[in-house]
Amino acid sequence: MAEFAPRKRVVRRDSQAMSQWAVAWQQFRKHRLAMFSLYALVVFYLLALFADTIAPYGEAQSFRRGAENRSFAPPTRIYWRDAETGRLSWPFVYPVSASRDLRTLRLVYTEDRTQAYPVRLFVRGHSYVPPPLTLVPPQIRKRLQLNWETDRHLFGVEFPATIYLWGADQFGRDVFGRILFGARISLTIGIFASLISLSLGLVLGGLSGYYGGVLDDALMRFVEVLATIPSLFLLLALRALFPLDVNPSTVFLIVITILGFIRWGPIARVVRGLALSLREEEFVQAARALGGSDARILLRHLLPGTAAYAIVAFSLLIPGFILTEAGLSFLGLGINEPASSWGLMLAVAQEGGIQTFTSRPWMLLPGLFIFVTVLAFNFVGDGLRDALDPKLRT
Amino acid sequence: MTFGYLVRRVLQMIPTFIGATLLAFLIIQAAPGDFTDRFILEPNMDAAQLERMEARFGLDKPVPLQYLNWMWSLLRFGYLGESFSYRAPVNVVIIPLIWNSMSLVLVSLFLTYLLTIPIAVISAVRQYSFLDKAVTFLSFFGLAIPNFFFILVLIVGVLMLQPVLRDLGAGDSIFGALIRPLSYDLERGLLFPVGGMRTSQIYDQLTVWGKLQDRFWHLVLPVLVVTTASLASLVRVLRGQMLEFLRADFVRTARAKGLAESTVTYKHALRNALNPLISSTGAILPELVGGAGLVEFVVRWPGITPAFVAAIAAQDIYIIMGLLTLSAVLLMIGNLLADVLLVTVDPRIRYS
Repeated sequence: MAEFAPRKRVVRRDSQAMSQWAVAWQQFRKHRLAMFSLYALVVFYLLALFADTIAPYGEAQSFRRGAENRSFAPPTRIYWRDAETGRLSWPFVYPVSASRDLRTLRLVYTEDRTQAYPVRLFVRGHSYVPPPLTLVPPQIRKRLQLNWETDRHLFGVEFPATIYLWGADQFGRDVFGRILFGARISLTIGIFASLISLSLGLVLGGLSGYYGGVLDDALMRFVEVLATIPSLFLLLALRALFPLDVNPSTVFLIVITILGFIRWGPIARVVRGLALSLREEEFVQAARALGGSDARILLRHLLPGTAAYAIVAFSLLIPGFILTEAGLSFLGLGINEPASSWGLMLAVAQEGGIQTFTSRPWMLLPGLFIFVTVLAFNFVGDGLRDALDPKLRT
Repeated sequence: MTFGYLVRRVLQMIPTFIGATLLAFLIIQAAPGDFTDRFILEPNMDAAQLERMEARFGLDKPVPLQYLNWMWSLLRFGYLGESFSYRAPVNVVIIPLIWNSMSLVLVSLFLTYLLTIPIAVISAVRQYSFLDKAVTFLSFFGLAIPNFFFILVLIVGVLMLQPVLRDLGAGDSIFGALIRPLSYDLERGLLFPVGGMRTSQIYDQLTVWGKLQDRFWHLVLPVLVVTTASLASLVRVLRGQMLEFLRADFVRTARAKGLAESTVTYKHALRNALNPLISSTGAILPELVGGAGLVEFVVRWPGITPAFVAAIAAQDIYIIMGLLTLSAVLLMIGNLLADVLLVTVDPRIRYS
C-alpha cells in the first residue's frame, strides 16, 4: 500500500519520530502532479513579481496614434537569419506600418524590410519601480522617500520597431506584458480572498461550535440564508454597493472583500462540526479542568485541531476565487482599465466577436493562463489533502 | 408521516425565505444612490408607474416599513415592483427570463445525471485503467477551465470549421448530404449557432417542429459547456463514493454469496454511493444557475444573468430584488426536492 511507503525513510532517520508536518511534506512530495504544479506556480509568481522587468513595455503604455498605431498588431516576427547571407544572426525584427484595408476596414500590418532592428537585452524604456519595492504601497514609499526607479527591461527593440511576443490589444498594448501584469492581480486576489473567507469561517465556525446556544443558532441560520442566494448573484449585488469607476487599487480591495465574504459559510459549517467534536475530547476537558480560559482553549486546543482542514480548504478555495475574479472582471465589474487582469483581457476578446477569432486569436491567451493556474492550484490542493487529511479524499 | 415531514420542511423554508429577501433588501438599500434619483434624472419617467409604486411601497417611509410593504404586496398581489429600464412590472419582465434560463439549466442538469452515473461507475470499477485516467484528467479539465473561456473556445472551433463546411454546403458531394442533417446551417458553414436562443429572423415563421429544432440547435453549445462543468465535480464525488463502497464489507459478502458482478456493482455499491450525489443536488443548483450565468452572457442567451448584470449597471433595484427572490425560491425548492428524494431512496434516513 502506498501509505506505508515512507517507512523506510523513517527508519533511516536515526529513529527519531517525525512531526505531523514532516510526514505530510513527505507525502506531498510523492504526489508528482502536485509537486510539478507547485513548481509551475512558483514560476508564475516570479514572473508576476518581475513583470515590470520582463515585459518590454509598461502596463498602460499604448501605441495607438497615427503612424505608431499598433491596435491589434499581430505577434512580431523575430528573425534569426540574415536576409542576404542566410546565415544565423543575432535575432532582429522589422518595423511594421499600419494601413487600413478599405474592403474590410481592418488595420493591416506590413513589414518594412529596409532596416532591421536587433532585439537588445537590458534596454532602456518605460521607467518603473523595481520589484521588491513594488510590493510596498505607493503612499508608504512616498513617505519613506523610497523613490528609486529604473528603466531597464529584459529585452526590447528600438522605436519605430515594436516587439509584441503575443500580439497587441485594442490600444496597441503588449499582450505578453499585460498577461504578466494581470498575473499580479489574478494570482494575489485568490490568496487574499481565501484568507478572508478562511478567517471568517474559522472564527465564526469555531465560536459557533464551541459556545453553541443562541449564537450557534443565529450564525447557522445566517449561513443558510447566505447559501440560499446563488453566489454569482450575491457577488453581483454586493458589487453594486461600491462605485464602479474608482481607481484600480480600490477596486482590488473591493473585489477581495466581496469575494472573501461570499464563501465563508460552508467553511464555518465544517469548522463548527470540528469544534463540536473537539470540544468533547479529553484533552479539551482536561484543559478546562485545569482552569484554562475559553480563549486559551479556543486558540491552543481547538484551532490547531482544525489546521489540516484549514490548509486544505485554503488551497482549494484559491482556484475558485481566481475563476470568480476572472468572471467578475470579464463582466466589466471587477478590475478596471488601465490595470489588467486575465478576465478583463478576455472581455476584450469577447467584445471583438467573430473578429477575435478570425483576425486576433492571441486575445484568447489569458484564458489559457487562467486554466493552467487553476489546474495547478487544484493539483496542489489535491496533494495537500492527500498528505494532510486522507479522510477528506473524494 | 411523509405529509407531516413535507409540511414541516415547507414551514422551515419560511424563515429562510424571509432572511434571504431581507438580506437582499438591505444590500440593495445600502447601494449608493436612491432610485428617486432616477426620477430626477429622467423627468419623463412614467408618472403612472411612480404612482403605482408609491401606493404600494410607501417609498418615502423608513426601510423596515418598505420591506414589509414589499413583502405584503408580494404575498397579497404577487407584485414585485416596477422595472425602471423596461418600464413594466417586474413580474412581466422576469418570468420569461426565468423560463429561458431554466430551459438551459434543466437540460444540462438532466444530461449531467444521465452521464455521471455510467461514467463514474465504469471509472471506479476499472480504477487506474486508461478510461479512468482519462475521466480523471477530463474532470480536472472541466473544473479548471472558466466557463466563459470554454464557450469562447468552442465558438472559435465552430468558426474555424466555417470555410470547410461552407465549401461542403456549396458543392454537391456526398459529404455535404451526409453532414447537412448534422449541422445547423451548412450554407453559412455553421455547425452550431454561435449565439442567441433562437434564429430571430425566421423563428416566427417556423412550424412547431421547426421551432423545436431551432431551439435545440441553439442549446447545443451552452449545454455542452454547463454540463461539462457540473459533470466534472459530480463524477469526482460519485467515483470516490463508489471506490469506498466497492471495498466495503457488505460488497465482499455479496460477492462471496456468488452474486453476479453487475448486481454487486449496481444494486449494492451504487445504491449506497448515490446518496451524496442526491443530497448535493441542492448545492449544484446555485452553481448551475450561476454557472450558466457567464455562458448566457457570452452566447447572448436572454436569461437571468445578463438581465441581472444589466439591472446592476442600471441600478434597476426591483429587478435585482425580484431576481434574487426568485432564484432563492428556486434554490429552496431544489433543496427540498433533493431532501425528499434522499428520504425516498435511503430508508435509513428518517423523516425528521
